[in-house]
Amino acid sequence: MSTPAIPRYAVTDVVGRTQLPTPVLGSGDADVPRPNQRIQREDVLRVVGAAAAGLAGAAWLTTQVIPVESPIGFTAVAYLLFVACFALLISFDDDRVTVVDRLVAVVIHSAAIVLLLALGLVVAFALLRGADAFTHLNFWVEDLALAGPLDPLNVGGMAHAAVGTLIMISIALLIAVPLGLLTAICLAEFPSPFTRLVRTVVEAMTALPSIICGLFILATWVLMFGHEKSGFAASMAVTIMILPIIIRSADVVLRLVPATLKEAALATGASQWRTIWHVVLPTSRSGLMTAVVLGTARGIGETSPVLLTAGYTTFFNFDPFSGPMVSLPLATFTLVKSPEAAQISRGFGAAAVLMVLVFVLFLLARLAGGKGPGLLSARGLLRARRRSGREAARFDRRAIARARGAAVQHTQGTP
Amino acid sequence: MTMTARIVRAWPRLLATVISMAVLAVGISGLANVSQAVADTVHSPIVGSGSTWSANALQTWIRNVWANYQWKITYSESGSTIGRTDFANGTADFGVSEIPYAIANSNEQDSRPNRKYAYMPIVAGGTAFMYNLVIGGKKVSNLRLSGETVAKIFTGVISRWDDPAIKADNPSLALPSIPIVPVVRSDGSGATAQVSIWLRQMYPKYWDAYCGKVGRAPVNGHCGVTSNYPTVAGSGFVSRSGSNGVAGYVAQSHSVGAITFVEYSYALNAGFPVAKLLNAAGYYTEPTAQNVAVALLKAKINENENSADYLTQNLASVYTDSDKRSYPLSSYSYIILPTALEDGFTNDKGVTLADFGAYFLCEGQQSAEVLGYSPLPINLVKAGQKQIQKIPGGNPAIKGIAGCNNPTFSSDGSNKLAKTAPYPPECDKQGATQCATGTGGAKESTAQSGSGTDAASQSGTAVGADGTAGAATGAGVGGITSGQQVSGTPQSIPQARLTTTAYASMAAAGALLLGFSVAPPLLRTRGRHTWFRRDGWRKRR
Amino acid sequence: MTLRTADNGGPQPDLPRRVRVRRGPSDISFRVLTHAGGVAVLALMTLVGLFLGIRGTEAIVVAGPSFLTEQAWEPNSRRFGVAAVLFGTITIALIAIAVALPLALGTATYICEYAPVRLRRLLVGVVDLMAAIPSVVYGLWGMFWLEGQMIPVAQFISTYFGWIPILRVSQFDPNDPLASPTVFTASAFIAGLVVAMMVAPIAASIMREVFAQAPIGEREGALALGSSKWGMIRSVVYPFGLGGIVGGTMLGLGRALGETVAVYLVISPIFAINWQVLATGTNSISALIALRYGEATPFELSGLMAAGLVLFAITMVINFGAGFVMQRSRSGAAS
Repeated sequence: MSTPAIPRYAVTDVVGRTQLPTPVLGSGDADVPRPNQRIQREDVLRVVGAAAAGLAGAAWLTTQVIPVESPIGFTAVAYLLFVACFALLISFDDDRVTVVDRLVAVVIHSAAIVLLLALGLVVAFALLRGADAFTHLNFWVEDLALAGPLDPLNVGGMAHAAVGTLIMISIALLIAVPLGLLTAICLAEFPSPFTRLVRTVVEAMTALPSIICGLFILATWVLMFGHEKSGFAASMAVTIMILPIIIRSADVVLRLVPATLKEAALATGASQWRTIWHVVLPTSRSGLMTAVVLGTARGIGETSPVLLTAGYTTFFNFDPFSGPMVSLPLATFTLVKSPEAAQISRGFGAAAVLMVLVFVLFLLARLAGGKGPGLLSARGLLRARRRSGREAARFDRRAIARARGAAVQHTQGTP
Repeated sequence: MTMTARIVRAWPRLLATVISMAVLAVGISGLANVSQAVADTVHSPIVGSGSTWSANALQTWIRNVWANYQWKITYSESGSTIGRTDFANGTADFGVSEIPYAIANSNEQDSRPNRKYAYMPIVAGGTAFMYNLVIGGKKVSNLRLSGETVAKIFTGVISRWDDPAIKADNPSLALPSIPIVPVVRSDGSGATAQVSIWLRQMYPKYWDAYCGKVGRAPVNGHCGVTSNYPTVAGSGFVSRSGSNGVAGYVAQSHSVGAITFVEYSYALNAGFPVAKLLNAAGYYTEPTAQNVAVALLKAKINENENSADYLTQNLASVYTDSDKRSYPLSSYSYIILPTALEDGFTNDKGVTLADFGAYFLCEGQQSAEVLGYSPLPINLVKAGQKQIQKIPGGNPAIKGIAGCNNPTFSSDGSNKLAKTAPYPPECDKQGATQCATGTGGAKESTAQSGSGTDAASQSGTAVGADGTAGAATGAGVGGITSGQQVSGTPQSIPQARLTTTAYASMAAAGALLLGFSVAPPLLRTRGRHTWFRRDGWRKRR
Repeated sequence: MTLRTADNGGPQPDLPRRVRVRRGPSDISFRVLTHAGGVAVLALMTLVGLFLGIRGTEAIVVAGPSFLTEQAWEPNSRRFGVAAVLFGTITIALIAIAVALPLALGTATYICEYAPVRLRRLLVGVVDLMAAIPSVVYGLWGMFWLEGQMIPVAQFISTYFGWIPILRVSQFDPNDPLASPTVFTASAFIAGLVVAMMVAPIAASIMREVFAQAPIGEREGALALGSSKWGMIRSVVYPFGLGGIVGGTMLGLGRALGETVAVYLVISPIFAINWQVLATGTNSISALIALRYGEATPFELSGLMAAGLVLFAITMVINFGAGFVMQRSRSGAAS
């Protein structure tokens, strides 16, 4: 997710002024492996031939020899035959090493395809089934108060759950982000036995199953202190869940900040706090953003802490401190258990909205902090170069002015 | 220097994002407070929790009072046990449960809560046996079961649908030799408790043996009453949480052979049939509103106002009621009302709860029948109207009995619904005939597939088994009175032959797979034109 | 020792001067602030851990050693233990990781080594995104799509591999053409597949990141010595990324153990050890908590916390193990 900080462009100080950045030899662009694989005609022919043989053989096998009804079974048989035929074809011309190489290539390709297809299917399935519900406009603006299980999809919506999700995650972030970043800075910048202890505890807590966060809040806040189930209780459970995640990834990112940058800042006489505020945090901005967004995505998507602490409601509830407040994953979880088709559609619709929310968050993270520290996009690079140029010009002007002034002073002899 | 400057300038954006989120959250909640304060000061929102058995009725009432009066009531359908626990813990303002606290002979420790409470019946209904059974590609909708057969099914004594006991109940069905999948509740549930009370009283032999199998200690000599249905590993039982969960499982297309106990309304909503249950008069009955009303005439209600269990039910004589129309597994569901200002219950909440109670005791009962429940009789409505006056802060507008329009009310105080209930047709009598009409949510009738005689139905199953005809040939041997005679249509067994679409989809799947595995390497070379390079064509050595 | 080079009349040994740091008030207050954050987090986390530990111990003390061997879960009659739920949790997680590991490894290798450069950036994004998809979505997919699709597969496995004890389904007779497929629903196998889909992108993302750091020089060296592409991957990328492979797998395993809703939606909970992974009925600790938290008496709640504690302990051991392996490995030393 975050790339280690390799300054791709060094700012070389030649004659006491800023030069345009030049690529450093041996790093950056030069470090890309040259393409060394070339598809040969034989390979293509072999693949096509093996595929044909596999399909034909599978068609014969599944219809005449072993009765396999499902497309999954057919595909599996066809695939196995394809691999076998492919291996056979290669072994006619090439040695064992090549056979193994090509076979592994095929297997790796298919593993990637299977996983990506399956994941695509997960997303597409939720979106497709949810489309019945979220294509109705009312789905985006209404709550479920007037929609019973048997009401059609043009009544009621999931806006209350979306609002609940946003309120809960906002409160959770409000607590977790400042606390998490402070702790991460403490861990990364002030190493001591104490911080090592904190780091160990935090790492242990990343293993805390999310439902136990909910159970903890349920047992303390709700049952022991006698508060009702509410959005705030859910926010606290979510906070406990995402806090270790945020701290841990922020800590890693902060520790990646090059020591040279910090030392340079300290050497200019900046205090430690200024160094962190003006150098460390900005340098690791994208990584920190990623840490926060990953925590947010986890917090938005988890059902179990909310299940135990938020209660379920069909109404809008804007007050996190009183009354049950439902979130999108909890609404999904509750609705899909119903045997009614309309309720199931609503559940899928809620899941689709949730996914869209997570996608948008991801996009935001990419936009806000897309690149690692020191890595610039083409436009950013251009901007940096221009700014550099302007600075250089300014220095030039000043030098000229100073020289003139000196000359004038020299000639006129002013005090 | 320049880079640092750039980043320093960009850094506040993160900060701004966080702050704006905070402002948003605070703003929204602040707005909400204002709008709520303006909207209503009397009817505070209340939160309830409990039974899924009666949830369909409650959710309808809650929706109606929100639409008509803007009383905000949140009810989470989580099971009776959770309802009682939530009320006792003070996390719910009211609970809904089929059974009272600390029920006798129970396996579970379920002590009465410390807060003050009162029971009040909310609606009656029948615990139905919803099933998913297909014979010859047709959904069965007229299954009949005796209580003993049900007991055997849910204690794992019978495990196949073609068991002689089921055949004896269903002379006109050629039952397939597929396993029965009993679906039970995995959460603590009032429906489970009702079924286990019934099993303990009526069929202790099977229930005790089952207790032994799952390793539960007997309570007072017999296997105890339980809200958590025990299952044996590898017995084919499926557990799901909530009435929705079990009904949803049975309603899945691949759940052929499943049967569960659930309130009648769930079968109606899901469009699935329920088994007609044999009553003490020798008739198989369906849990319709009338049959439930008839059965509950025999329910003994605790009428001692000083008892902790005032108004609770004793259903022992309902199970053995000898009225031909009675449905044996009928019962009332109860709301648990707070009667003191404690655990966060306020006068404002009392207003809402009392008004809601007054609403569903009167107007609400009208919709019970449509939903698959049975309305409360007059004596319970009157007692309930007294109970809601115990709610602190409440000032319910008690409508006169005349204005209620409850279908059970009559001028002489008797239960009109029960009085006018139709008697079951003769084909529902225990014996060789079987009605073909559908039940529950599956109103279409079932074609007769087996014959009255055992031998013929055996042959029917055998034909189905060897794979040439899924449907048993409708035997004319018995000469049955009702139900249409259908000669079995041959069903193609999917294993034997593949359709064109199957071929096409297989080919498509295969082609897709290959396409995906071949495309990336091809795409990769296109940009660089390696296809046409000299060495690309040369044979490797 | 050798520091005494000053004898030669050379310069004084190059010892650093002791620097005395005098921090300004802003620095001190900043230090205090961040440490306050650290203390708060430490306090919070310790509180959670202690609370769980104390409440959980109450139940464990009552149950005694049978807590680990008893299968039933009836805390109110004092007959309860985690044997069945723990067994279910571990079976599901193992099935999940057994399926996810080859897929994740293949995908990570594909992205790093085989994918066209233009596709690579996209795929990296896609896999990272998939790792963030809410688990309830996977649960939906498993409940409504996968279960129906996997029944024939489970039937096939049980028919032809039924001689392996754990793949046998005693309720199912392969010779009976009317045998009902319902015995294959809601099994540990299906739950495991759903969780596998959930953890595969997480594992793939970590592996991919590590593979990408494998030194170019060594890769090209291997190729220059005449290695095939697979030879290069096997001898350079995988040994270098071993830490990532182990770490990714173990982190995935940790997530798989703790998964709640995706499992809850699929399984049919039973309180008995079910060795037949293809047959209906399994359980997991987090699903048990989700199922029983609401109806729990205070004592049962302690029991649930004890079960949660066991799960927490296992996950913690796995996570620390992953961290240890990753740090000891070549690839992990950098981060």
